[in-house]
Amino acid sequence: MLSIRNIIGPRPGFEGGLFLPEYKSVTARRPIERLRADGTLYVPLRVGLDLETSPVVKPGAKVLGGQRLATPASAASVAVHAPTSGAVLGIDRVWTAHDGFLPCAILEPDGRDERLPPGRLWMDESFTGQLADKGVVCPSPRGPAHWVLRQAAQAGVSTLIVNAMETEPYLAADLRTLVEEPGRLVDMTCEIADSLGVERVFIAVPFRHRRVVRRMEAEAVGRHVLVASLAGRYPQCHPIMLVKALLDLEVSPGGSVLDVGAAVIPLSVVRSAAEAVLDDRAATHAVMTIAGDAVERPGVYRVAVGTPVRRLAERVGLTGTVASVISGGPLTGVSVGRDDAVVTAETTAMLFFRRGIESEPLACIRCGWCVEDCPVGLDPAGLVQLESEGSIEAEQVSHLRACIDCGLCSYVCPTSLPLAATIRRIRARHERGQESAS
Amino acid sequence: MSMGPGPLALTERWEVRAGPHRHAGSTHEGILASWILAAGLAGLWGTTLFGPAAFKVLAVAILSAAGTELLVAFARGGSVVGGLWHACLTGLLLGLTLPATVGWHIPAMGAAVAIIFGKVVFGGLGHYYWHPALVGRVVMQLVFINSLSLGSANGTWPVLAPGHLWFGSVSSPREVDMPAYGGWRTLSDHSPDEAVSMERPVQALRRFAEGRIPPDGELRYEPLLRDALPPWEDTIFGTVPGGIGETCTLALIVAGLFLIYRGYLRWELPTMVIAAAAVAAALLPVESAVEGGGYDWFPIFAAEEGRAVGVAYVLYHLTSGELMLGAFLLAGDTIATPMRAGGQAIFAAGVGALTIFMRLYGVMECDCYWSILIMNTLVGPIDRRVRRPVLGMGE
Repeated sequence: MLSIRNIIGPRPGFEGGLFLPEYKSVTARRPIERLRADGTLYVPLRVGLDLETSPVVKPGAKVLGGQRLATPASAASVAVHAPTSGAVLGIDRVWTAHDGFLPCAILEPDGRDERLPPGRLWMDESFTGQLADKGVVCPSPRGPAHWVLRQAAQAGVSTLIVNAMETEPYLAADLRTLVEEPGRLVDMTCEIADSLGVERVFIAVPFRHRRVVRRMEAEAVGRHVLVASLAGRYPQCHPIMLVKALLDLEVSPGGSVLDVGAAVIPLSVVRSAAEAVLDDRAATHAVMTIAGDAVERPGVYRVAVGTPVRRLAERVGLTGTVASVISGGPLTGVSVGRDDAVVTAETTAMLFFRRGIESEPLACIRCGWCVEDCPVGLDPAGLVQLESEGSIEAEQVSHLRACIDCGLCSYVCPTSLPLAATIRRIRARHERGQESAS
Repeated sequence: MSMGPGPLALTERWEVRAGPHRHAGSTHEGILASWILAAGLAGLWGTTLFGPAAFKVLAVAILSAAGTELLVAFARGGSVVGGLWHACLTGLLLGLTLPATVGWHIPAMGAAVAIIFGKVVFGGLGHYYWHPALVGRVVMQLVFINSLSLGSANGTWPVLAPGHLWFGSVSSPREVDMPAYGGWRTLSDHSPDEAVSMERPVQALRRFAEGRIPPDGELRYEPLLRDALPPWEDTIFGTVPGGIGETCTLALIVAGLFLIYRGYLRWELPTMVIAAAAVAAALLPVESAVEGGGYDWFPIFAAEEGRAVGVAYVLYHLTSGELMLGAFLLAGDTIATPMRAGGQAIFAAGVGALTIFMRLYGVMECDCYWSILIMNTLVGPIDRRVRRPVLGMGE
């Protein structure tokens, strides 16, 4: 079926945005590779600072792969399991990129990788209960998958959107997953949709990868799932932009997509939920992109949770000295900062760069690129100008809450103005001010 | 509790900063380099057409601009990061607007005025409202009106003759007889005169608009096209008299396309300048040369002896004078234009329409430069009217 849409692509789903260079030619072509856990693992015992768990192993204990290390202490937290068989050497704390220091179990693998036989230990037979029991977590919105789904159900969503857009450079984990297990993803999406009781289900896939789109469409035939192929214009991967493109609904500034009755979950949640529910395996591994100009063998890897970033770098090989390491995408990720950080269940990418970006900010030359590219219609340069004059007004602050922190303004700014950082700062200041006022 | 390997040791720290962690790669220096390259192409063509004298004017303008910038930076004890290249571009653009026949003092003073009164007094790069090069240009126009408007005694300006490109001198041109002039290419390759001089096409158009070109019987446009203007292709290739960078339409289009391709000039801007100028020239009336004839409206529809002379008249308007230089290299200065493409289209439409309006009815020379400066003044109100709605704020 050759239509004009097949040639020129879909209409842009929102105003602004930018097609970023992809840098995916290597990472997207290689199959997902398993990195054997052969060194000491430092498995974080919680997935967030406030999500309490209680350890259920003692130092010196022998554990099997998939055996529980910590059990949730609150309804919002999830269990943590051993990625492989080995001996627990102790309980300590370890650095993570997103949450700082978290308690961890030091696990020395024995190399046999024996796994717990399936069908044991699970306490809750309900769908979301299984997700909690098996430690499935969601990278965005950050949190345990069962909690994210419960909140969506409580908000009474009528639409589920599975986000496989991945419009940031380098990232290819979702794309590889789509290529390698399309059928399971559609099955699992239907399961999740059933548990939420939604009317409409979309899987958002980049239009650019047409064979993947066709394959997904073939898998979705006869199912209650719509494969939506969208232009890969950054930040189409952001939930608010997906809702705008697919449903033509606008989320009011500062709100979330739940307000307009849509739940947006990343594809990685569907993948690990499929593993947890269909294969009856605990979520002990992260499928992540390892790339960047300092990496010798970039690709999508399946890495045991608790692997130190330093060992990750040794395994994929580095081509030179590393100046900056990013956990997540190059625009929205966070700096790792230190080499004793470990991979967590939420890690979607680890990017190693030979140099950071440091340059002196100049005066704004009014090129207008930040205004033209801003996906939510802000005027970053103008806001920063007002901020420096100290004359920012309540109306502008209320607009500013629409910022989705995509970072495009700073990315394109030819004079290296700290646009995104300043907007973030103004927002934080005013949110603090509102809290203290109330 | 330590058995075997203990806690994970920290051995290396990496940069910690807030996102985004990559940059698109377009820097201010890169933008300036592309603009200098584009303006340099026009300068190169101008040097070809007007010889070493043109080169001298451009060089003096650039050196004076850079020197003034350095002096100001030295006096204020600041650095010149980014400003020096911008000063060079300003000087180059100023040089392009000047004829090659001017003495060295005009580009030198013009560039100094451009830097000081166009840029420094407003707070430097990024803070000025009016294009600095044009500020320098119009001040020079007002101060040295004799040498800039009149050219030589009888109002003719020179251009190098064939065979004398690059190295010829424009100081002692031979005045051509316009009604008998068959175009630049019909001049002999071995003419003893290094340059020829004639009335600028834009001057002929101005005279026509004032009804000062006598009609030939029933024919009113024909005397203009036949007797007062060079062939149209001359105004495309630039082999007509004028400012150094003003005449070479083809080079300016190439330079503009290069900037558009690089993403440093929005296509809406030159397109709208030219489109608005075309519409204005097509519709605005000219004073009839016939006694008591009043005004001739809608010149585009004029036809004489079965020829669409009105169309030719409009095309001459587009390729003569400062319009092309203004559209492609002067109007697009990022600092003195609206931020968004829509605002730039309004800005550009104003520039194009005002240029033709001032050309037809005004007494000032440099119509396009004045229009750009006028529209520069209106950037703030335009910017306020083409704001984008914020997502989720409703209509």
